[in-house]
Amino acid sequence: MLEYAYLTRVLPHRHPILQVDRVLEYTPNQRIVAVKAVTGTEPCFAGLADGLPHSSFAYPSSLLVESLGQAGAALWVLSARDGGTVLDGTLMFGAARGFEFHGSAYPGDVLRHEVVVESLKENSAVMRGETRVDGRLIAVVASMLAIARPEAAVAGSVNP
Amino acid sequence: MTQVLNHRMEELREVVAEVLEVEPEKITETSHFVEEHDADSLRAIEILARVEKMYKIEIPQTELPEMENLGAVYRIVSRYAGWQD
Repeated sequence: MLEYAYLTRVLPHRHPILQVDRVLEYTPNQRIVAVKAVTGTEPCFAGLADGLPHSSFAYPSSLLVESLGQAGAALWVLSARDGGTVLDGTLMFGAARGFEFHGSAYPGDVLRHEVVVESLKENSAVMRGETRVDGRLIAVVASMLAIARPEAAVAGSVNP
Repeated sequence: MTQVLNHRMEELREVVAEVLEVEPEKITETSHFVEEHDADSLRAIEILARVEKMYKIEIPQTELPEMENLGAVYRIVSRYAGWQD
C-alpha cells in the first residue's frame, strides 16, 4: 500500500489537484488499484448556494477523469521506477477514448480506480480502467493515452 | 493469399478509421494521416498500440514517424508480424 505522502513523490500533481489518496494494489507494468475519498470540503463544492439538490454535489466528471488518469500516471511512473528507469520529461494526458459514465459519486463516497496497462513504451502509455464506488460502476474508459515529452518541448518560450 | 492480404488490410483500415474518427472508405493506402485526415502524432501512437495488441506483436516507437498512411502501417505491421505476402 502506498500512502498520500509517497504519492507526492511519484506524481507531479499537488493539492488541490492531486486526486489520488492511496494506492491499494500495484503490479508493475500491469495494474493498479487506487482510491480517492470524496468529501464535502472539496474545492469544487466551495461557495455553492444553500438549498441545492443532492445532484449538485455529484463529484464532477472532469475531476473523475483526472483522478482515474492520475491512477494510471502513478502506475506508469512506479513501473518505470521499478524497472530502473526514470520517465524523461513531463507526463501529459494525450487522449481518452470510450469514456462512459454510469453513475455519480457524492461526498462520503470513496472512488476505487482500477487501471490496466494495454501498452507501455519508453515515452507513451495506453491504459484502460474503471471506477467503482462500493462495487457500483461509476465510470469506464476503454483507452487512455499518456505521453512523456521533454521539458524543453513542453515549456516552449514561456519559461526563461 | 491475396484474400488474406485483403482481409488484413481491411482490419487495419478499420483500426485506422476508428482512431482517426473517419469513415473507413475515406482511408486509402496513400491518404496522409496528418495532411488529409487531420491527425496528430498522438494518433499514430494509438494506432501502434492497437495493432500491437491485435496481432500480439511489438513494434518499436522509432517506427512511428513512418506510420503516415495505411500502406505504411501495413508494411510495418507485416514486417514485425512476419507476414509473407
